[in-house]
Amino acid sequence: MHEDSIQQRLGLAPGTPPLVALKGVSKYFPGVIANEDVDLAVYPGEIHALLGENGAGKSTLMNVLTGIYHMDAGEIIMDGESRRFASPIDAIAAGIGMVHQHFKLVKAFTVAENIHLGWDATPARISRKALEERTMRLADTLGLAVKPGAIVADLSTGEQQRVEILRVLARDAKVLILDEPTAVLTPSEARDLFAALRAFVARGNAVIFISHKLDEVMEISNRVSILRAGRKVATEWTTDCSETSLAHLMVGREIVLNDMRGDGGARKIGAPMVTLEGVTLKSEYGTVLKNVSLSVRAGEILGIAGVAGNGQRELTYVLSGLVAPSKGTVTLDGEDIGRAGARVFAQKGVGHIPEDRLYAGMAPTLSITDNAVLREYALPPLSNGPWYAPRRALALAREIARIAGVMVPDFAMPARNLSGGNQQRLVARREMRIADKVLIAAYPSRGLDVGAINTMMRYFVEMRDSGVAVVLISEELEEVLNLADRIAVMFHGEIMGVVPAQGADIEQIGLMMGGQRQQGQAA
Amino acid sequence: MSYRLQRMPVAAPSVLFSARVLSVILALLTAAAVLALSGKDPIALGGKVLSSTFGSRFGLEDLGLLFSPLLYCGLAVAVGLRIGAWNIGAEGQFNLGAFAATGVALFVPGPAWLLVPLMALAGMAGGALWILIPTLAKAYADVSELITTLLMNFVALLLVYWVATGPWLDPSGMALATTARLSVSVPYVWGIVHWGLPLALMLAVGLAVMFAYTRWGYEVRIGGANPGAAAYAGMPVQRHLILVMLMSGAIAGLGGMMEVAGTVGRLQGGISNNYGYLGIMVAVLARAAPLGVIATAFFMAVILNGGIVLQSQGLTTHTVLAITGLILFYAAIVDEVARYKLIPTTGEVTPKGAR
Amino acid sequence: MDILAGLIQTAFLAGGVLALAALGEVLAERVGVVNLGVEGLIALGAMSAVATVVITPHPWLGFLVAMGVGLIAGMIFAVATVIIRANQVLCGLALTYMGMGLAATLGKPISGSPAPATFQDIHIPILSDLPFFGRAFFSHSLLVYLIFLVLPVALHVLIFHTRHGLNMRAVGENPAAADAAGISVMKMRFWYVSLGSALAAGAGGYLTLVFVPSWSEGVVAGRGWIAVALVIFAGFRPINAVLAGLLFGFVTALGFVGQAHNWPIAASILSMLPYLGTMALMIVPVLAWQRMRRLMAAPDSLTVPYFRDQR
Repeated sequence: MHEDSIQQRLGLAPGTPPLVALKGVSKYFPGVIANEDVDLAVYPGEIHALLGENGAGKSTLMNVLTGIYHMDAGEIIMDGESRRFASPIDAIAAGIGMVHQHFKLVKAFTVAENIHLGWDATPARISRKALEERTMRLADTLGLAVKPGAIVADLSTGEQQRVEILRVLARDAKVLILDEPTAVLTPSEARDLFAALRAFVARGNAVIFISHKLDEVMEISNRVSILRAGRKVATEWTTDCSETSLAHLMVGREIVLNDMRGDGGARKIGAPMVTLEGVTLKSEYGTVLKNVSLSVRAGEILGIAGVAGNGQRELTYVLSGLVAPSKGTVTLDGEDIGRAGARVFAQKGVGHIPEDRLYAGMAPTLSITDNAVLREYALPPLSNGPWYAPRRALALAREIARIAGVMVPDFAMPARNLSGGNQQRLVARREMRIADKVLIAAYPSRGLDVGAINTMMRYFVEMRDSGVAVVLISEELEEVLNLADRIAVMFHGEIMGVVPAQGADIEQIGLMMGGQRQQGQAA
Repeated sequence: MSYRLQRMPVAAPSVLFSARVLSVILALLTAAAVLALSGKDPIALGGKVLSSTFGSRFGLEDLGLLFSPLLYCGLAVAVGLRIGAWNIGAEGQFNLGAFAATGVALFVPGPAWLLVPLMALAGMAGGALWILIPTLAKAYADVSELITTLLMNFVALLLVYWVATGPWLDPSGMALATTARLSVSVPYVWGIVHWGLPLALMLAVGLAVMFAYTRWGYEVRIGGANPGAAAYAGMPVQRHLILVMLMSGAIAGLGGMMEVAGTVGRLQGGISNNYGYLGIMVAVLARAAPLGVIATAFFMAVILNGGIVLQSQGLTTHTVLAITGLILFYAAIVDEVARYKLIPTTGEVTPKGAR
Repeated sequence: MDILAGLIQTAFLAGGVLALAALGEVLAERVGVVNLGVEGLIALGAMSAVATVVITPHPWLGFLVAMGVGLIAGMIFAVATVIIRANQVLCGLALTYMGMGLAATLGKPISGSPAPATFQDIHIPILSDLPFFGRAFFSHSLLVYLIFLVLPVALHVLIFHTRHGLNMRAVGENPAAADAAGISVMKMRFWYVSLGSALAAGAGGYLTLVFVPSWSEGVVAGRGWIAVALVIFAGFRPINAVLAGLLFGFVTALGFVGQAHNWPIAASILSMLPYLGTMALMIVPVLAWQRMRRLMAAPDSLTVPYFRDQR
């Protein structure tokens, strides 16, 4: 891309240097090329998108730019000089600020305390009041509304993100990096964010916007760089691209954005397999589920949409029997089993692919065998009375690994050593084996590359076609739209509405995600 | 070809064993260096230890008497670790086991074939009782068992001391700070080594089988590694936690009973002799594997015997404690360092997309 | 009344060890590292203090040497847990045994004999002569005032009212956030763990130069462990920590009074009070008030080693 034309198209004076340029940057991890020979240049006034599928190396590249990782090769150039960022403080001093996907906020601190953390402009002696006043002034100057005295743990994710952005901007950042910012926002919050970003770059600054969502990239960016398998494949002007061309560059082959719902009419959807009636769940944090009534029928996929943290996790607990509802009933194939416990649920054919498999669905330090047989260890032929046969367990583990298409060099090795995609495939097939009636999948594509995601989606279609009721919880609206038959939207522990996925109105779903109830619900 | 250090999430199993051996060697080398610096000849001392221990029948019998309580305490701590609990209280539970067994011996009349098993039961009950409060506190109030079990140690030591110098003091007036000689004792199997030792070995094997070949063992393994996953699979995590911790206390208590009724013959202050704390070392070195505990307890017995043999040289049991602390220190460091692999920076790496 | 004044006076004396050791542990745990080697550190400090005083009769020198020994031991511990990032629990246990063993071995020659020089109580005009309060509060050595007044207030201000303290607390709560904000997690942890160890060893010096005052191998008697438990009970706050130490000193003093007045309870049983009391303090508040758990919450990253480059 010719240098002069870039400045011209951005409306800059000819010869204006980029605010920051990366040249030939490479970074390696065990057995993996995270980045190799990446070039990137970001100019004043531009919103530059960094696009790629999960695992393409976008976050890694930015972690190098912000001094969290050390690059194995390449250089960073600012103001015509090659810079070395030995630690985050160097990058911050150079005017580069990053808002990470997982916020780097101290949850136990107030907003004001977080803003003033590690900042040499903070006075040596501090008091709560003084910090809060300073925060208010900053917020007003930079045009971001925050509550200085609030404890961060009590804020919504959208509010937390604003605090993060304020923290970064307060340090006079000229280059603002955002890593998948809209994952935690409702559509309208995302629009507010975009407006703030446009105002920011209009002042002569730049934004690097990391995303894997094609529609967002098309909407917000001036230019887009695509990473694939750690390498930069192309840098294009967004107006010269389409979603299809971007997808092609991202994945490297023609992909058809699939409607996997298949031939709508020919498939038989059966009777309700699992029904929640008036389910309310109270925990030490308050009422986490309010009067939830849902029904999932055999042979259908019910998608649960909504920003993460609105009760989806608690819903999975109730659906899988891990927690009994405080009020209301859970009926499986006609049987009321709300209070029966997770073991009974599993015995009766409810499988659960958990949201955080390392925390809930697996014991990462134990062997792959131990993890593979988690659901079936007590059944013959693995168990006979009180006895357990490790050799038969190994045979079952081999079988599950084979069906999952996971190559395991040593089944005694800790499960943690497997890649995320392989762990998920193993857990998924393990659950599918016992899920005769219901399969619950919570955020199944999180952190997976496109290949693994496609595998997951095929599994769900397979289950659906064999008559299982599938509940798919996802924060990717596109995923839910492509796969589900009906979509339920959750907000603050309640179901805002249930709509058929075919011909669904995205605006309406977005509103429900933001708390507006659907008029006249269709169960 | 240039290399890079990379930290792996979990160390390779092949490295784990050699890591343990390395840490022991490092600790012994350090100790030898310190000895040399203070003017003693470490090789000669080491030779003396080995010849005294293995060179004579008395030496081996002494070794056996040290081996037994170390086995019990090591197994007790190892069992606790399987469910993810740190039983630092083996010392106190050991004392309580001795206490309970002495109570039975002194106050319950009956023939030996009845009393000895009864004492064993009392010992186990005493040990389990002593870990009960810390267990319940951990299970229901999430209070760290590390400190609560430890605090109970001091109470137990004071209790035994009080009882041995007060209410249960030897009435014959011959002893100042112990009870009377117990009327019954655990029978001998070899010289002065009592049946407690073979029983402990069988216990170790039994535990190994239980952990590997029973459903219960599988559930305990999952519960100890990740209680979240155990709950997810519908296992009764709370119940297992409580049961396993009580087992841990009972095993230590049984060790105490064997010590008072087999080795010493009377209850006195200091009967636990740091076995409980050394048991922690034994269990950690063995990575909580019951069969491994046999090896590490034996090794620890040799070291302890060395401390006794070398007392004439000015070394005390405290020196032994310091050396075992050193072993533990090196073990922790080597464990962490063992996670690092040397990776060539060019060569076989797969691009991230292709998995 | 006189008994009460005497009790309080003894409470300060007996509690000083716990208070100073607890202060040191607060520093370490606030940056996210649990140091279970306090018992061993107290032993090392106790022995070194007496050994120094035997050579030259200056108690302050003995105290400083004790702190110096603790600083060095603490740095070794910090290298293992903060730089190499080995398991903190294991390293702490190891430090306890190494410290106790080393102190007992090296301290054999001086075991049992009274320390040749100890800290003397100072007389404050007017205040020391007050009835009741004079004896209870104003007849102590300088060291006591340092431990119960100067240090806790200074540390409180440092931790909660300075920019540095804010950064320090962040390291304990969320080292990734602190790192991203440009704070050096490793440096903070290394220095506060070492400093905390110095204070713990100083507590040992206090034990053998003020309270007992002599060295013998059983003299620490679990006080290090009580101090660790007290830190939890005190919600990781310096002022609460010394108050908790004082409370325990009071319980110990009660035991002494009981022995002196021939109460019908045996000395050994009375000696159990501090340990049983500590356990009760750890368990009862959490059971009785659910809210206590959040209020007394430990720094979020306690015991977790920090790896920036972790995947």
